[in-house]
Amino acid sequence: MRSYFYESPSSFEELFQIGKTTSNEVKFLAGGTDFVPRLNYELNEVPKEGQKDLTIISLSKLGLDTISESDEEIKIGSMVTFTEMKKNNIVNKYFPVFEETIKELAGLSVRNVATIGGNIMNASPAADIVPTLMALDAVLVLKGPNGEREICSKDFFKGNGRTVAQEQEVLKEIVIKKQKGTSSFKKLGRRKAETLSVVNAAAYIEKENNICKKARITIGSVAPTVLRCKEVEEALIGKELTDETMKEASLKVIDSISPIDDIRATAWYRKKVSPVMVRRAIKSACDAE
Amino acid sequence: MSKILNFYLNGNPVEVIAKPEQNLLELLRDNIGLTSPKCGCNRGDCGSCTVILDDKAVKSCMVLALTVEGKKVVTVDGLVKGEELHPIQKAFLEYGAPQCGFCTPGMVMAATAFLLENPTPTKYEVKEALSGNLCRCGGYDKYTEAVLAVSRGEFGPVLKGSEINV
Ligand SMILES: Cc1cc2nc3c(=O)[nH]c(=O)nc-3n(C[C@H](O)[C@H](O)[C@H](O)COP(=O)(O)OP(=O)(O)OC[C@H]3O[C@@H](n4cnc5c(N)ncnc54)[C@H](O)[C@@H]3O)c2cc1C
Ligand code: FES
Ligand code: FES
Repeated sequence: MRSYFYESPSSFEELFQIGKTTSNEVKFLAGGTDFVPRLNYELNEVPKEGQKDLTIISLSKLGLDTISESDEEIKIGSMVTFTEMKKNNIVNKYFPVFEETIKELAGLSVRNVATIGGNIMNASPAADIVPTLMALDAVLVLKGPNGEREICSKDFFKGNGRTVAQEQEVLKEIVIKKQKGTSSFKKLGRRKAETLSVVNAAAYIEKENNICKKARITIGSVAPTVLRCKEVEEALIGKELTDETMKEASLKVIDSISPIDDIRATAWYRKKVSPVMVRRAIKSACDAE
Repeated sequence: MSKILNFYLNGNPVEVIAKPEQNLLELLRDNIGLTSPKCGCNRGDCGSCTVILDDKAVKSCMVLALTVEGKKVVTVDGLVKGEELHPIQKAFLEYGAPQCGFCTPGMVMAATAFLLENPTPTKYEVKEALSGNLCRCGGYDKYTEAVLAVSRGEFGPVLKGSEINV
């Protein structure tokens, strides 16, 4: 069996130093709701031979658990838990869509520890916060030994479980521009509570006299990563937002998705419900104030 | 590499040796011998391992033991005052909610933490708060009704966060 080590650095310098000096595999720990079940599973298996030892680095002492606001944007630290985010005044004032999203994400006792950063870095195609972040065009800030870099959420995910982040890079914060449109998130699970998405979708809409000026539509759980649906967006922009145009535009999502059969649903079913979820998200974003 | 871990368990300071790969549930049950939190799945799905960590319900199988350094952990054992049961426990008994009882310690902790946050919930809110706690005997309705009865004060005043830590 491999050996395990635990570190809880109180500064980034200390953290990068640990990374530099160890030959072990390094894993960051946020709330642990993805990581610890995986570790439990690993410990129950017959140990793999030749596996590197594992150093677990807790991110809890780096001061990444604050939410702040400036004139143009809000910043959410990667270690903010979903429970904190759901009741935060700044978040609720500018982006009520987060409350709508978080309500659908896991259950209370998971949200009490699960962080927004963990949900993003886990890079699951079913991660519920990601469609919302992409619909809001959020920017993700990575910090590594060689400094910080900003990446737009739509360019961040490279595949199931894979992001552009390098092994040493920590997701520091999420930056979202204040904007004048409205948004909404819709989730379809196998049951109502505490379940992963079969399909989820989010929409951001800017309109004038009910004509769509800007749209960002995203869908999750139907491809290796959460997707931006350009075809749907193009079908909406410049049109009047009637039930008919929304329905027509939503059907275009079929062209961008590549769903698979898994334990939650079949590809066939996902294809059937994807346009429905997209349409509901668009409609609800249009109706939101 | 094991480390020395200090935290408060049901109001008492404890010092134990914990392995980095151990979760809090295993630490409580195997290292400390406190078997009230149950292991139903060891992967966050069932809620039978729920404890209160710094006034919030958490599933202890998903909390790495070493991360509770300096924090306050409460299990059902910390809710009883001598022979006197906590109002939630009294209500669960009175309503006959537990059948096999395996989910009960987790239900008690989830419900207690929830009432600290929201002392006057609706039925829907109670159901939602307990949605991460599975009961394979199907006692959901009775658990929900019992929590509502406690929130109406039928089983005496509900303790405040600071009081349950002693
Ligand atoms: C019962 C249950 C129900 C769930 N339901 C849902 C659901 O409905 N919707 C949903 O989307 N998810 C759900 N999840 C998955 C999980 O809870 C979320 O993905 C959660 O947000 C993960 O956050 P965490 O802080 O616990 O991450 P962790 O487990 O601590 O970390 C996850 C991964 O990200 C890495 N990481 C974490 N933070 C950073 C950072 N700042 N920088 C770099 N890397 C980092 C870690 O190394 C690890 O690989 C559920 C999980 C369980 C157990
Ligand atoms: S044992 Fe922890 S949730 Fe099932
Ligand atoms: S009483 Fe048997 S599992 Fe709930």
